[in-house]
Amino acid sequence: MTRVLTRQEAEDLAYREALLLDRFDWPAWLELYLEDAVFWVPAWRDESTPTADPDRELSLIFYQGRRSLEDRVWRIQSRQSVASQPLPRTVHTVTNVLVEQAENDWGTVSAAFIVHRFDARRERDHAFFGRYEYRLQSRDGAWRIAMKKILLLNDIIPTVLDVYSV
Amino acid sequence: MQRIFESGWVFLGLASQAPGPHDYFTTSIYRTPIIVMRGADGVLRAFVDACPHKGARLAQTRQGNARTLTCAYHNWSFDSSGRNRNVKWKQQGCYAAAFDADSHDLAPLPAFGDYRGFLFGSLTAGAPPLAEHLNGAAALLDLVADQSQDGVELIPGSVKFTFEGNWKLQLENCSDAYHFTSTHPSYIRLLEMRRERPDETTARSVWENSQAWSDAAQGVQGGSYSFDGGHVLNWGRIGVSDALPLYERAVELGERVGEAARDWMFNMRNLTIFPNLQIAENASSQLRIIRPLSASRTEMQTWCIAPKDEGAGARRQRIRSYEDFFNPSGLATPDDTVSYENCQAGFASRVQPWLQGYARGMTASRPGGNAIGDRIGLEPARNVLADSMLCDETLYHSYYREWARRMAGEGGA
Repeated sequence: MTRVLTRQEAEDLAYREALLLDRFDWPAWLELYLEDAVFWVPAWRDESTPTADPDRELSLIFYQGRRSLEDRVWRIQSRQSVASQPLPRTVHTVTNVLVEQAENDWGTVSAAFIVHRFDARRERDHAFFGRYEYRLQSRDGAWRIAMKKILLLNDIIPTVLDVYSV
Repeated sequence: MQRIFESGWVFLGLASQAPGPHDYFTTSIYRTPIIVMRGADGVLRAFVDACPHKGARLAQTRQGNARTLTCAYHNWSFDSSGRNRNVKWKQQGCYAAAFDADSHDLAPLPAFGDYRGFLFGSLTAGAPPLAEHLNGAAALLDLVADQSQDGVELIPGSVKFTFEGNWKLQLENCSDAYHFTSTHPSYIRLLEMRRERPDETTARSVWENSQAWSDAAQGVQGGSYSFDGGHVLNWGRIGVSDALPLYERAVELGERVGEAARDWMFNMRNLTIFPNLQIAENASSQLRIIRPLSASRTEMQTWCIAPKDEGAGARRQRIRSYEDFFNPSGLATPDDTVSYENCQAGFASRVQPWLQGYARGMTASRPGGNAIGDRIGLEPARNVLADSMLCDETLYHSYYREWARRMAGEGGA
């Protein structure tokens, strides 16, 4: 039986991802991604154009395959990265969720995000904001992430940006 | 800021950022906005990016192409050679004769120089000639510029980040071989894990065939060169390896620039041209401009620099390795910048517990060059040859000798 993505299902997934990141529930977060998922945070060519071709232009992060996200999670938990301990506290706020395309067993979703980050070590906070584009795939009765593109609009990075910051 | 950034040579950008007539790019020297433009005559010039009328910044974008720059405030306009073309309603303006005696052109930088496509400027006149400022370190810029017959370019997409620390922390870290294994164990371990379980999706590491960071490595694995003017290189032996994107042109390079220069291009090289340019060629290749915002806050503008006409596979590998290692969103740089902030916190102490970081290599530092640098005619002020664990710290002395000289009011202006 094929499925057609609804807005409520898209919201459920986006909100769940936000919560899992905020709770640092890494195994459940990784589980949202398909094995060959693309995770992409473009950089900017100029004032108004993000980079579009990851093989010829620079990205902030570009991963083809969940393995690289697993690497990130390993590093975050490794106690071998001074930037990753103690982790900042975050809240991912996801809004403006729209299903843009819905076909049998896959759909694309756009959303807006603000991630508030509080770095308790340095007693400072920051808000990253931008837009998400998801491509979701139905797999074994659940919607999973085949692609997530994170268009970070305020791209001057205060010291660190990690997968939990956007 | 006044004595080091607002007087004397600072790096502005690459000539390839404004390749054609009327192309421009903008940058800043500390607080001062700068525009570098190529005129209709093909000549690059650098100006303060501010209208002589009311001081409004003219160009609104990091790069562009404009025959005429028109100030958005009162519409004075300028051609791409910086000459004033129009003062709005001049005839009706009842100006005094003295006004006509003033130049209304854009203010050129008092000094502007191009060394093989690397552009430098100074906000004060009286800096020594650029060649004198670069002295022997120019040969290290040649190792970058010569990687392609057509020169180098900045890959589209620049990344800016800030840290809450003094700019000299960045200066030192680029030259700091001692921190690599202790600050970046998670990165090093991830490279090992990828090597143990390789797949198509992860970037290949340039260090996979190198002993430069191994405790077991014997003999000379690298070292440092320092030059008058505060320029510094630390380097590690890698050798002509197919793990480097440059490998696709190894034969061509050997023929064109000679084997000695080619072999040097394949070595890990972290170069600082004092005070604000760093070119790090290790995991990938990064060009950085250091810009102090205050004594305890620094902005870094960073790009992936690469030889022009690179093959698609080599370019992809260079970009992926760059993102992994160099980005503030990657697997290594955040551990550096957080450490800078920890240093800045410790610097507040007046008890001086932090001045023991300049002593490694004291008995290994030698005046002049050595046989390895002689192969490409390097003429440094001092050098250290090192095994993988010496990790010279005397190269920082060069930074601080120049810093002290400039702070004493010598040399910059």
